[in-house]
Amino acid sequence: MLDDESVAQDEDDEDEEQGDARDEILTPGTVITSNSQWMRGHGTYVPLNTSSITSSLAGTLTRTNKLLSVRPLRARYNPEIGDLVVGRIVEVQAKRWRVDVAAAQLAILQISAINLPGGILRKRTETDELQIRSFFAEGDLLVAEVQQLHQDGAASLHTRSLKYGKLRNGVFVAVAGTGGGAGVVRSKRQLWTMEAANGGGKIDVLLGVNGYIWISKHIESDAAAEAAGINRMEESVSSQIYSSQNNHIDVTTMREIARCRSVILALVENGVKVDEDTVTRGYNEAVEFGRESMEDDIYLGGERGQRLAAALAGR
Amino acid sequence: MADRRRVNGPGSSTLPPVYDDGELDAALRRQRAPDAIRPLYLKTGVTPSASGSAYLEIEPREGEHGSGMKLTCTVHGPRSLPRSAPFSPYMVLSTHVKFAPFATKQRRGYLRDSSEKDLSTHLETALRGALIADRWPKSGVDVVVTIIEGESTRQDAVERRVEEWDVMNVLGGCITVASAAIADAGIDCVDTVSGGVAALVASKDGKDASIVLDPVALEHESILAACCVAYLPNRDEVTNLWFKGQLPSPASCNHQSLVSRAVQASRGTHGLISASLSEAIGSTQN
Amino acid sequence: MANQQTLLSPAELAYLHSSLSLSPPIRPDGRTAKQFRPLTAETGILPGTNGSARVCLADGTEAIVGVKAEIEKTVDPLGGEHYQEYVKSASGAGGGDAEEDKRGARGEWLEMTVEIPGLRDDDAGTVFLAELLREALLADGEFAKKLWINRRFHWRLYLDIILISPPLSYPLPLLSLTTHLALLSTRLPRLKSEGDEDPMFDDDWEASPFLYPRQGAAAGSRPPITLLVVAVGDSILFDPSKEELAVADSALAVSLCEVRTQKGDESMEVDSGRELRLVSMRTVDPPSRLTPPGVPSTGNFAASGTFDPSSQKKQQQQQQRVEEYPQEGVWKAPLGGTRFAVLDSIIRAVLEKGGVADEVLDGLEGVDLS
Repeated sequence: MLDDESVAQDEDDEDEEQGDARDEILTPGTVITSNSQWMRGHGTYVPLNTSSITSSLAGTLTRTNKLLSVRPLRARYNPEIGDLVVGRIVEVQAKRWRVDVAAAQLAILQISAINLPGGILRKRTETDELQIRSFFAEGDLLVAEVQQLHQDGAASLHTRSLKYGKLRNGVFVAVAGTGGGAGVVRSKRQLWTMEAANGGGKIDVLLGVNGYIWISKHIESDAAAEAAGINRMEESVSSQIYSSQNNHIDVTTMREIARCRSVILALVENGVKVDEDTVTRGYNEAVEFGRESMEDDIYLGGERGQRLAAALAGR
Repeated sequence: MADRRRVNGPGSSTLPPVYDDGELDAALRRQRAPDAIRPLYLKTGVTPSASGSAYLEIEPREGEHGSGMKLTCTVHGPRSLPRSAPFSPYMVLSTHVKFAPFATKQRRGYLRDSSEKDLSTHLETALRGALIADRWPKSGVDVVVTIIEGESTRQDAVERRVEEWDVMNVLGGCITVASAAIADAGIDCVDTVSGGVAALVASKDGKDASIVLDPVALEHESILAACCVAYLPNRDEVTNLWFKGQLPSPASCNHQSLVSRAVQASRGTHGLISASLSEAIGSTQN
Repeated sequence: MANQQTLLSPAELAYLHSSLSLSPPIRPDGRTAKQFRPLTAETGILPGTNGSARVCLADGTEAIVGVKAEIEKTVDPLGGEHYQEYVKSASGAGGGDAEEDKRGARGEWLEMTVEIPGLRDDDAGTVFLAELLREALLADGEFAKKLWINRRFHWRLYLDIILISPPLSYPLPLLSLTTHLALLSTRLPRLKSEGDEDPMFDDDWEASPFLYPRQGAAAGSRPPITLLVVAVGDSILFDPSKEELAVADSALAVSLCEVRTQKGDESMEVDSGRELRLVSMRTVDPPSRLTPPGVPSTGNFAASGTFDPSSQKKQQQQQQRVEEYPQEGVWKAPLGGTRFAVLDSIIRAVLEKGGVADEVLDGLEGVDLS
């Protein structure tokens, strides 16, 4: 794609490294450069007996110093250490769970990587292993962090924080994860609490980097336990942590949760990226939409969704 | 659907023998009251090697040949699922309904055709509602129903294309016999499910229509609509409902009466299942 | 198909069930109980067929139906065509008793297949869907008569339904609406020959009549539509998504067809003259029966954080109690069947004048038939 000249040219103005070549879409097999000063990165390869770097994906070119890589237009989620992900248990094995995180491989959650009830310092026992389904069973949703990556691309997760664990009191929605196009993008905050309109109380929105999203009622942590100090808090929270019983949720809260979910669906349908900014703005917009009519329609499919996206783009 | 996995001979090279059954005369007409079902014979525990089994025979009319039905059902399990199967917190139910090759006038193949698969799905829906499946986690149970003799053995049946209505009766019988066999196998159920069929039939001049229980398609000039239910009498609930046909135009509420009549028919068969089960228990205790 | 698992956590199931049983229900995508998902439809997309249609949902699920017709000799079950000829010569009648002859039309002349990617074509779920659609089409006995040419020949109609991608929800309504449109756009060549001679057809495609005559002389029945309706608590929901189906207490597939009666010109208004007729219903096994049960905060070893034999005994007792009394917020798979009153209210909601079925048919009428 790039002949040597243009590479050389681009080299001259380093500042303009995100030049016009970036907007061009490469297809697999396109020669990017045969200049040996560049290094090949993700999405590229060097054919046998040549020294030219060739694209192996359909996507855009990115240059980081001397490294050439091709970012695909669409791809599955590619785990990275530290990512906050929402996953669903698909298989329970002897000492670990296999978790669907929308990646190419199922992620692994070891029993040693979860908080055991009864305090952080408790030792893992055989009883725990036998009762493995009482922590997480097939179908359960959880929020976790990517701890480690394996050779084959599979990720290991951990839930050793009070922020992580089983998800309750809300609804799930899956959109495309990072990888280009619409979907969840990596950002500073993947989890935030927002004040819902119409007296809906507070709701939590958790955007997993992998594109799995959880919208739930915000549960205030017990103030008394918090006062009791970090260790005591651990104990009291753990009594809730593996339960699958929902708290009582008001009708108004449920309505606002559903509104939030339909905002996210509308964003995805209309090719808008999903992050804290777009979701909050979209939600406020949707509340305005709802006030237009008497019955407060929260459905945002079809034309209403397009209107919402247009309103967001307009600002 | 044709058997696609084997090389079949030419379809029209031979013809089945044709017997002249004569006209549909008065003697063939339904003589039962509209709300009477045909006498049934049900026996459980007929197959010793299976965990549970039952045999059901619907009596043909006296001196009449071939409007009865003979069904047998075997239940295998609960048994543990194969190692490769994923974990299931419930008992996994699978149902198979098969006509014996000689059960109908036109010979059936050994492979299950689409109508048999369809019946299996109906039967599965009917039974699944009745089972308390969480009592048997990680286990599987197979319910196999074989129709030894179907209703349409007569030439008339082929000629007048009444098979499509007979399917309802077959399903009703399958539900009843499977329910008895499951009870015989000692699998927990919320209630004894039983099958019942009702149909809306047109009179000879085609003017007025009436509802009959347990219809035999051959006995009527034409069937307008039919309904088969799987019913739990003690809970007053329906686990499977199957209706098809054409209701005379203005009376759109007719489906209610048709369903309630079908429920009435299944109440009748329910009595039989309980009687047969208590008889079986009585004989083992002595 | 119905038992194809949608894996959901007990907490999700409990939340969905309680939000859907509210009055009015709150559906996860914000639709009202009777609202359908928006879809785009077009007909006549395949020039190589007698009729075709394509329907596409907003989530990308797409179905294509192609209808092909072939001429076939009518083989009488009693012994081939000679019998028919014999009957004909005996009765000595011309074409006057065509109506009577058409009674020989058979449902077998329609062959219907459904292809769903990811499922075998002889999978029980696929067969169930195909049988359901077929049964609805043939239920009124009028359809087969349309395929009758003369006493010796008939049309064999192949109706192939293809789903482009693996379904994101139970595909029944989608397949049914596509089939409806494809049949409305189906044309068969115009017959030039008369009586029982070998059929000859007009090769002018423009002159070919539609299988279902267009408006104007639009008496008779129209192809059926099948709606999937679920009951959750006291709510009745149309066009359920897979999450909604997963918590449904019962699911019913209701097929109905519109019958148009020829009226005087003053009542040409189609909407008011529409008459809906129930042609078939089937319960669909709701997948909710196979969902994992929830664990209450109390009575869970992992949640209570203690483990000793005495507490285990207590747990068992608790477990038993849980089995009997449902707790708020804890998911429990439904047991038993459906009360008839619930089923009846579903049927009423479908057949209601000016209700969902009317709305759907109005929408389909808006589709340009080419």
